[in-house]
Amino acid sequence: MEVTRRSAIGLMGASAAGLVLFGPRADDDVPTDRLVLNYWEKWTGFEGVAMRELVDEFNRTQDRLFVRYLAVNSINHKAMISIAGGAPPDVIGLWSFNLPAYAEAGALLPMDDLAASAGLTPDRWIDSVRPLLRHEGRQWAMMTTCGSLALYLNLDVLESAGVDPAFEPRTIKELDDLNDRVTLRSSRGSIQRMGFVHTEPGWWSWMWGFQFGGRLLNESGDPTATDAGNADAYGWVRSYPDRFGAEKLLSFQSGNGFYGTAQNAFLQGRVASVVQGPWLANLIEVYAPNLRYRVVPVPVAEAVYDPDAPVGLFDGDVVVIPRGAAHPEASFEFIAWLQNRARLERLALAHRKNTPLRQASAGFFERHPNRSIRVHRRLASSPRAFGVPRTRVWPRYEAEFDTSFESLWIGRLSADDMLARVQTAIEQETEFARARRGARADV
Amino acid sequence: MTSSRSSLWLRMLWVAPWMVGLALFYAVPLAMSLFFSLTDATMIEPPRFIGLDNYAALARDRVFWRCVANTAIYAAVAIPLAMILSLWLAALLSTRHALAKPVLLLVFAPTVVPLVAASMIWLWIFNSDHGLLNMLFTAAGATGPNWLTTHGWAMSALIIMSLWSVGQSVVIYLAALRDVPRPLIESASLEGLGRFRRFVHVVLPTIAPAILFNAIIQTITAWQVFAAPYIMTGGGPDRSTYFYSHYVYDQAFVFQHMGYAATLGWVQCLLLAVCIGAVYLCWRRLGDLR
Repeated sequence: MEVTRRSAIGLMGASAAGLVLFGPRADDDVPTDRLVLNYWEKWTGFEGVAMRELVDEFNRTQDRLFVRYLAVNSINHKAMISIAGGAPPDVIGLWSFNLPAYAEAGALLPMDDLAASAGLTPDRWIDSVRPLLRHEGRQWAMMTTCGSLALYLNLDVLESAGVDPAFEPRTIKELDDLNDRVTLRSSRGSIQRMGFVHTEPGWWSWMWGFQFGGRLLNESGDPTATDAGNADAYGWVRSYPDRFGAEKLLSFQSGNGFYGTAQNAFLQGRVASVVQGPWLANLIEVYAPNLRYRVVPVPVAEAVYDPDAPVGLFDGDVVVIPRGAAHPEASFEFIAWLQNRARLERLALAHRKNTPLRQASAGFFERHPNRSIRVHRRLASSPRAFGVPRTRVWPRYEAEFDTSFESLWIGRLSADDMLARVQTAIEQETEFARARRGARADV
Repeated sequence: MTSSRSSLWLRMLWVAPWMVGLALFYAVPLAMSLFFSLTDATMIEPPRFIGLDNYAALARDRVFWRCVANTAIYAAVAIPLAMILSLWLAALLSTRHALAKPVLLLVFAPTVVPLVAASMIWLWIFNSDHGLLNMLFTAAGATGPNWLTTHGWAMSALIIMSLWSVGQSVVIYLAALRDVPRPLIESASLEGLGRFRRFVHVVLPTIAPAILFNAIIQTITAWQVFAAPYIMTGGGPDRSTYFYSHYVYDQAFVFQHMGYAATLGWVQCLLLAVCIGAVYLCWRRLGDLR
């Protein structure tokens, strides 16, 4: 059949008409008589459902504002692009460790005055939460959910290795001992099971120094990667490839399934213990509801051990108002509504996480579906709970740590060389960031 | 005259949407990125003009040189391998064998699989414990390596994976091979040229334009490789698969050095131009074989 110009144009016209008549439509549920607020959040799945329910309730209980929830992947990058492009949403759900970079770039509106006028004073939060909402003396966010890292122990694996399930490794040495007892090798020498391994899941390669009394930034905000505590910590990390063999560890690691699946190494019993947050309880409920497990603080170096002040990473999810938001007061009205204790607790219960509030309602811990929530609360309230270092160059710091950790893990770097590499790179980056800021201030 | 003028306007009208798109989405961003490369630009703060400082900073940036080296090695190995494999497959498939078409379908099919999905498949193929590849090693009585987590092997794994999408080149070669005049090959046979010499002295020079086209496309693809290593190795271990485009992405969107990322983009463009120039020179040499 010959295709003529007329038939081609006709076909294109018909397609266009079809698209107009039967193509996708804008969301019909958005009322035209209300101010619509766009809320970008990172959560999908059950976490997203819990927040959506709150959003729906907000939309039902008043008739002036309408919040439209949109789950956004890689939200910390996309939100920045939307702000730079001058078309940000009205409310954004970030991680608290994003705040320094956003705040210093002038990407957020401060919330001090709005919070004070709504009576949301800082004393409502547990102590560890307050610094996570602030940067350089100002408050930039409100917290929605939070979590602390702990050590999850698979009791079935411990028992099968002849370890008393009531045993709680409190120090790094005890963790190593447990590892020695639980680790299984095949006749060919490959690792079949481990008591503990840093790379499962390996999301916080930079945190080990804190368990040895180290830190990554000093009071002036300068990097302290080569701190003595960090040197001890990464010397200990390096002892694993030395003892077990780097190739053997890599091989074992590649056999572990992805985190959010039934093949998760902890659920499968391939590793007896993992460092994780309260969200792991959700995975256990879905994929291994009969798993016998216990949660204890992450072990620390003997010299640092204090039963009354456990050490653990604490971080949270926050909501912010981006610069350029069309209706900041309305945005804050929604945020303030979310801050009601009952609503924050609903969210915490659904996410299986801690509440960031100092005062929990009666029965909150009793009815919490995460049986380890009290341990996580104790960790979050500890004076030695630590957050992600508050520096604008954190993305670079973390990337440098991850890369150098890999080199350490495959036996190409010693602990001291690894830390020196990180220190040099981050000193340069910090210097550059300061010079850049100074130059902008001069302008 | 009037009719030709109105015809010109009509043609202009037809190409206008494309021209507007080209200006808005290519020319303007190109000009802006050139400007940004001369500034200290984050994503949000107003750009601050710093002249050629970003270009000078490249010389001291160890990670930049590492990425250039990684990408150059990848391109230097992956491109010739893909060229040889696709040409060989095309030569095989250009016969009238009954299986030629089904095999062509199999060779071409991977190119329509989204790269992210393909990367997930290859993650499992390269899995050192349960992966298909290492199972073959085990069946042969050998021990396969930790493909994606060992220095050296990770790069090899990504190069092997890059051969997954040779289907497009095969189709282009196939079309070119079918256009080689039969009398030319027959007269070469009559002059006593063997099969190999016929291929080198008659077929290759005749399909030289297709070779040039594929070589250029593969050079561009190799220098822009991003998704597969990003998903499969994250640039590791120890930055051994940290490629140029991944570094540009990190500088722009993770570290918020938009000005520096723009500089990297322009240098990538220059490097690519040099490589394409080298490809063109090699292609000219191929013409001399005639």
